[in-house]
Formats: sequence, C-alpha cells, structure tokens
Amino acid sequence: MDKLLTNKYGVKGAVQRADAKLTLALRKTVSNPLLHYLIFGVIMCVIGYIAKQNTGVIPYSWESGLARTFAYSIASVGFCLLMGYSGLASLGTGGFIGIGTYAMYYIMGVLDLPFALAVVVAIAIAALVGIIVGFISLRIEGIYLVILTLGLSEILRQIYVAVEDNISISRFRVFIETITTRSVTIYYVMVALIIVMIVTTNLINSPTGRAMLAMKNSTSAAQAMGISLIKYRLLAFVLCTVYAALSGVMYMVTTRSVMASDANGTYALITSLNILAAVIIGGYKSVWGAVFGTFIMYGLQTTLLQQVNFLADNPIIITFFSGILVIVVVMFFPGGVAQLLVELKGLIKKLIKKIREGRYGKDLG
Amino acid sequence: MEKTSVKTSPRVQKKLIQARQSINWIKAELESLPELYEGKKQAKLARFKNKLNKQLSSAAFKACDKGEYYDGVIDSKLMRYDVKKYMAHRALNHGTAKRIFGTVKLGQSYDEILSEQYAKYQQLNAARAEYKGKLTEKKAAFVEKHGAADATEYNALIAKKQAEYDEYEAKLTAAYGAAMSEKAEKLSQKLKGYESLTEQLSAKTAGGLKLEEDVLLSVRDLKMYFGGLKAVDGLSFDVKKGEIFGLIGPNGAGKTTVFNCITRFYDATGGDMYFENKYGEVVDMRSFKVHDVILQGISRTFQNVELIKEISVVDNLLVACTREYKTGIIGQALGLPSLKKEEKLLRAKAMKILKFMGIESYAAWYAMGLPYGILKKVEIARALMCDAKLIIMDEPAAGLNDSETADLTRTIRRIRDEFGVTILLVEHDMSLVMNVCDTVCAISFGRMLAIGTTDEIKKNKAVQEAYLGVDEDEEAQPQEEAEGNE
Repeated sequence: MDKLLTNKYGVKGAVQRADAKLTLALRKTVSNPLLHYLIFGVIMCVIGYIAKQNTGVIPYSWESGLARTFAYSIASVGFCLLMGYSGLASLGTGGFIGIGTYAMYYIMGVLDLPFALAVVVAIAIAALVGIIVGFISLRIEGIYLVILTLGLSEILRQIYVAVEDNISISRFRVFIETITTRSVTIYYVMVALIIVMIVTTNLINSPTGRAMLAMKNSTSAAQAMGISLIKYRLLAFVLCTVYAALSGVMYMVTTRSVMASDANGTYALITSLNILAAVIIGGYKSVWGAVFGTFIMYGLQTTLLQQVNFLADNPIIITFFSGILVIVVVMFFPGGVAQLLVELKGLIKKLIKKIREGRYGKDLG
Repeated sequence: MEKTSVKTSPRVQKKLIQARQSINWIKAELESLPELYEGKKQAKLARFKNKLNKQLSSAAFKACDKGEYYDGVIDSKLMRYDVKKYMAHRALNHGTAKRIFGTVKLGQSYDEILSEQYAKYQQLNAARAEYKGKLTEKKAAFVEKHGAADATEYNALIAKKQAEYDEYEAKLTAAYGAAMSEKAEKLSQKLKGYESLTEQLSAKTAGGLKLEEDVLLSVRDLKMYFGGLKAVDGLSFDVKKGEIFGLIGPNGAGKTTVFNCITRFYDATGGDMYFENKYGEVVDMRSFKVHDVILQGISRTFQNVELIKEISVVDNLLVACTREYKTGIIGQALGLPSLKKEEKLLRAKAMKILKFMGIESYAAWYAMGLPYGILKKVEIARALMCDAKLIIMDEPAAGLNDSETADLTRTIRRIRDEFGVTILLVEHDMSLVMNVCDTVCAISFGRMLAIGTTDEIKKNKAVQEAYLGVDEDEEAQPQEEAEGNE
C-alpha cells in the first residue's frame, strides 16, 4: 500500500504534483524566446494589415515604415552578432545591402525568375564577398576591417551607380502573391526577420556563440581551447554580410525602388552608421536590442514622430536626438537599452525588498 | 631518438580525429544509457501512479478519519493568518519604528508605535482564534455529514490497484530493458566499426617515432630567438608520465616562452618537441597549429585568469569542448536535437568535474564577480574538460593567499592521482613548487641550470647563484631566500 499512496489524503498530493508539473511546462513554454519572436511577428503583421486597410485606426504609412524598419533590423541583428559576440566591426553594411537589392532587381525585374532564386543568389553572392573580404582582412586585428569594409562599401556603391543608378520593379510575384503598391509586404519582412532572429539566438546559445565570446574575451585562451580564430571570425563576418544582403532583398520587396547615387540613400555610409548606432543604442549583445535600436533609428521617424507636425517639418531634430542618444548610451549604459531593462528589473526587485523590510523588518529566516 | 618524418595528409588526420571523437561520443552515450532508460521508466510510472491515485480518491476519502481530514483543511485555511502573524511578529521583534499597517503619524512616539503594533498583533491573534473557532464548529457538522471512516471499499480497491501497478512496473522494466539492450547492441556495433576505421587510419599516420619508456613529453634542444634576443637557447628536458614537473627560474629566464613553444603559440626557431598524445601515438608537436594542440591532449591554464565573464561557470567549461561537438554550425543554427543530446552529456561531465574541484555550487553563476580563487579553480576545471594527458599551468598560485595556495597544492596532487594526468607548471611561489613537484627544472636566460628532485635543486649551487647572485655566504638557505626574492 505504501508504494502506491504516498500522501495522507490520497488524491490531493497527486493532483498538486500534476499541477506543479503543468505549471513548469507552461513556464518553460512561456519563457521560450522563440515564442516571443513569433508573437512579436504576429503583432507587427496585424498592425501592418490594419494600416493597409486604410480605415484610419492606424495611419496608412505605418505599414511601409515598419516594413522598412524591420528590413533594416535584419542587417542589425547580423551586426549585433559581429560586434557583440566576435568583437569585430564593419562599416560596409550599406554596400552589402546593395547586393541584395541588385540580386533582386536582376533576377526578378530583368530576368523574370522566381523570388526564391533571388534570395538564394543574394545570399550566395554575399557569402562569397564575405569570405573573400574576410580572408584578406580578418588576419589582421583591430581597425583594419572597419577601414576595408568602409572602402569596399563605397566601391560597391560606385559600381551600382555605374551599372544601373535607379532600379525599380513595379509588379512582381513573391511565391504566390503578386506584389503591387496595395500589398501588405510586412508579412515577408517579418518572416525573414523572425527566421534570422531564431537562427541568431540558436547560434548565440550554441557552442559557436560561446566560441565567439571566448575569442572576443581573449584570443590566446580561445586558441588554447581549440578555437580557430579565422574560422569563427569569418563565420561572424559572412553571417553579417548574408544578413545584410537578405535585408536588401526585403528592402526591395517593400520599397520596390532604390537610387544608388543618393548620397544619403540606402547604400551610403549613413546606413552603415545608422545601423551601428542602432546596435549601440539597443545593446550590442542582444537580438531584441538590435531590433529595438533599429526601430529608434528608423521606425520612430516614419511612424510615431511623423504624426507630430513640428517634427515632420523639421526632421533634422530627430537626427540630433538620435546622436545625443548614442552619446548618452555610450556614456551611461554601455550595454544599451537591453542593459537598461535588466538594471531596471533589478532595481524594482530591490525596491520591493526595501519596502517589505521597511514594513516588516529584516527577514529572520 | 630516431628522427623519421612521415608526412600524412591533413585529410587523413582530420578523418582520424573525427573517428576518434565519434568513438568518444558513442562511449559516453553507452554509459548514459541505463540512467536514460531508468528516467523514462520512472516518469511513466509516476504518471501511472497519479492515474491510479485519482481513481482511488473517493474511496480514500471514505476510508480516512473525517476529523483528521478536516483538521488538515483548517490548517490550510489558517495559512493566510499565519503569514500575517509572522510578518507582525517580525516587525515587533526588530522594533521597527514604522507601523505594520498604515503610515506613521506626526508626533507619534516610538513607544506609542510599538504599543500600537503590539495591539495589531493581538488583534490578529484574536481574529485567527475566532476564525479557527468558526471552522472548528463546522467540523462536527462535516464529520456528521460524511460519517465515520469506512475502509472496506478502500482496502478492497487498494490491493487490486497495487497489483495493477506492480504488473505495469514489471511490464515497463521488461520493455525498457529490451529497448536498452537493443540500443546498446546497435551502439557497440557502431563503435566496432569506428574502432577498425581508427586502426586503419592510425596505421597510415603512424610516424614511427618512439620515446623512451615512461616519457610523455620530450623537449630537445629547443631554441626561440626574438631577433637578437635568445629567450630560449638549447633547452632539453623530459617529462615523465604521471609526474608533476616544475619549471623555475628568475624573471625573464624564458619559462613562459618554453610553455608557449610547447603549446605552439610561438613557432620555435629550432629544436624538437615530441609528445605521446592521448591515443598513445608519438607526435611531433611542431607539425600542429596552435588550435589543434588541444586535440592531442595538451591543455593549459593562464597566468591571468582568462575566462569569459558574461556566461556561467559551467558554460565556461563547455568552451573547452568546442572541438568535440559533432553537430555542425548549420545544425547548431537550427537547434537540432543531436546538439541538445551532446550538450546534456557534456554538461553532466562538466558538473562532475566541478564537483571534483568542490565548486559545483557556483555552476550557474556568472564568471563575472566571482572571487579570484574560485576563478582559478574554474580555469583548472576547464583544462580538465578535454581529457588532457598533459596539463600546463602557468603560475597557478599567482594572486592566491597562503591558505588558497595550500589548497591548490592538494588539488594539483588530487588531479594527478584521480585523472592520471601529467602536470607541467611554471611557478614563482617556491613553497608550492617544493611541496608539489616531483621533478624540478631550473633555467636561467634560456639555458638549463639544473634538473632533479626538489632536494637536489635546493642544494644546487648554480641555482642558488642564479637566484641570489654570486654571494660569499655559501650557507644561504636557497628556499627561503628565493621566496624573499620573489
């Protein structure tokens, strides 16, 4: 009898244990970051859908604004992996985004081939460029990668200008849907962004992420632990360029046209700098931080702040604001918004503890 | 020693390493099989038990004493009051000047507040007693309503259920036993395949090198020049299997350079280093890249702790196993189940090693902010993660206090005894070196001064001169003086 029934009242304990188990399973599911990404994606898609209905609940322009922001976010996430985890920096994001847009333009606009091929070609070219540039520059430590990518980005932009300055595709098919100005393109962007976020999170929590961190902390310790520096640096850099190219593809899906010669345009240095700033503001070690930082750099302007007439007339103020934000973050919160949130959480916990102690005295137990 | 260089293609070497890693993984999996199946069985049994208990619940209620049952209910209902009472008591005990309930009024004295608090406490007590009384009144009605304990139904049922349970358990045991043996059979077949492959490949790679008996690492005529500076100049020594070998010398003698040459951080200018790797083959260390040294069975710790601050201690240990994962980068990006399986096995191993070092309670802590002594231990634990045959320690006692150094001495001995590894260490702390080392090699300006047991080194004149300078007082005690010198 004692084997079967362990508790006094039979059923009560068993039910409680089952409840506890269920709660644990539920908690595990709720705290799964992949689920958070999915929920985030669905919410953004719903916002985009409502905006495109043009009923006035959410302004019409929000859909394209958000879609563009999250297309840039893909590049930011890659940059976060590069800077936060392997300790490298690149200023070639703008140029690499161009790889995606031009692959899209030539495969779909000129050759009229399917969308999936455009994505594959963009990724393949970006990976190739990443490997070549990486092999040349990653053997040297420090600032050389930044200089090299900066130059490369400008070279790429000049190539784009020479090849075809103003690219645009008016109607094209993405899988089953024909994209026109009325289509809700944020769906595609969100799918790409969520895939990128999930892959990046998996990598960060895997041996690869740890190897990158080891390499960033101390190259000699990493080497002694069997970590090949060139392999992981190259991996981070290639992922960064691939993400940037994917971001370019998604950018093209939502905007349908880009001008290469625009000095403040998508391929220019300003994009690379903005994405750098976004990752710094958001927190260079957090995937959420990268996405949020990009929203501050790009999304705020196209959505919320656009509603304020004064700011809409003087967009330069927003640029000032983001510059000041970068300075403040670097000075006071080197971990960015992500760190701020963690610190806030700790502060609230401390406050609650203090209030309890004030009321009831220190814990005796 | 015969010097014959046989070039093997890197592809064969890579294949060999992969085959050996597969063997390791299969062995680990075989080891973990009983635990795995036992866990599965227990989980199923627990679920079944819950099910049976639910079926029994009404009979169990009838069988139990109703008064006793209701007492339990009362206890749980009074819990609310008990928590409040505890809080009030706590406040009273500490004599805090603030009231439990409400805010402090202006002009209220400390005594007043306390007495008010006490009144509140009494009130709470009274309320609790009142509520308890109410519930107790209800108890009689409850007992009357449900009648006295009647265990006949329960007794009849329980025997049946117990039999059901036993039957189920036996069935599960048989089923899982069969599944386990089948799996074990499959794995051991796989293992045999890999073992024969390894034999074939290692026959190809065997370089025909041989070391003297009992020698693990042989350094011959090692030279390392930085431009005109001869940091190491023609140094030769042998490290025997299972010994603790100390390398000492004054500052700038080239100790760390020797280490860096062995672990391939520096490409030696001249000389040879032969090492019997963890598969029993003698290899020329100079044919490896720095990040491949760990695969041969040499791991090292650093003078300044080189851990990753932003991940946990156990994750830090896993960094040493980066090369052992069979799941590729794409598999890792997709989060495949095979990666989770490997992680689980390695985590169990890491926990075992942390337990050995006596720091398993820090496993989930971030390396940031842990005391230096603990971090040093974590670093040694990390060096133990990759089944190394030779562990190279660069000043393990640097920055430790006396008791920590004594602890380290014991730890180093225990590591040598239980893991069967050989330890090569550079150290300035002479008490550690003289206590722990079997053989000591003293060098100065890249040249060998003396090699021998600790006693021989203590008495050696050349060593004394190197540490103290040429001195007229020949009776000087080298050990103590050397300590003062550091």
